[in-house]
Amino acid sequence: MIISVNGEIKEFKGEHISIKELLEEMSYSKGIAVALNETFVLKTKYKETIIKDGDRLDILSPVQGG
Amino acid sequence: MKKWKIEGKEFDSRLMIGSALYPSPEIMEKSIKASGAEIVTVALRRQSANAPQCGNQFWDIIKELDVTVLPNTAGCHTAKEAITTAMMAREVFETDWIKLEVIGNQYNLQPDPFALLEATKVLIDDGFRVLPYMTDDLVLAQRLADIGCTTLMPWGSPIGSGRGLMNPYNLKVIRRQFPNLNLIVDAGIGKPSDAVEAMELGFDGVLLNSAVALAQEPVIMGEAFKHAVYAGRLSYEAGVMQKRDMASPSTPTVGTPFWHQFS
Repeated sequence: MIISVNGEIKEFKGEHISIKELLEEMSYSKGIAVALNETFVLKTKYKETIIKDGDRLDILSPVQGG
Repeated sequence: MKKWKIEGKEFDSRLMIGSALYPSPEIMEKSIKASGAEIVTVALRRQSANAPQCGNQFWDIIKELDVTVLPNTAGCHTAKEAITTAMMAREVFETDWIKLEVIGNQYNLQPDPFALLEATKVLIDDGFRVLPYMTDDLVLAQRLADIGCTTLMPWGSPIGSGRGLMNPYNLKVIRRQFPNLNLIVDAGIGKPSDAVEAMELGFDGVLLNSAVALAQEPVIMGEAFKHAVYAGRLSYEAGVMQKRDMASPSTPTVGTPFWHQFS
């Protein structure tokens, strides 16, 4: 299945994957927040939130800001 | 100088500083320390999916500074984007403070007053402490205060322009109309004398970034702003003398030698 992760097209095995599984597979750990199809997902919901083919995931991290 | 309170926390410094645009992370760290700022703005961005840990180094430096972080929603153009970004910032930075920024015009990065008001209402209802980056519009200030903002951050001039206070009259009127709100001049400060001017208008603080980060010597400029904000506040508290049309000698005239009485 094809998922857009931070604007980059990524291919994953299977028909669906949880946010938790995807983050582990891509080695994301602390200091991030996630939006699925532009909707914020709480950290406590990563395990039960399923990503499907064609979904768009944004994973944000701290950067410099003014 | 007395401590001041903003959004429930006490601080010594009335300078709030950004963490962007410095020549290096080391210069950023030194500049923030030299400025004495205790509130530092930060942001959230996508990292490359191929380098998932690269934001951590910056965040580690900020955490070591032991400052209060103020996440922003820079780059958002709609209320929905700003609300989502604020929620993500709350989770990452573990703070309910948000510098709410919704850009309405790409040319001068002017905040969109309508989207700002809409997003502020949603976020305040959700428990955020919203510090809205806004134009110097009196009616907008009133609307934001009406829905619960206790801090307002009108611009001095467009972000990164360094043009100082474009419209001191508007800022002065907002100060007069809202004596009990915390007012911060955010954006447009170019040099320490601009910060002095804002503080002498009675503003509670200034928020700046480019003026320090883009100076030829950011660390020294950080220190210059520390003193400027301090001097401006003392000046406001002391009360500036009234301007006069005529000269008035400061040295006593009584007892002047070789005195000639003109008729």
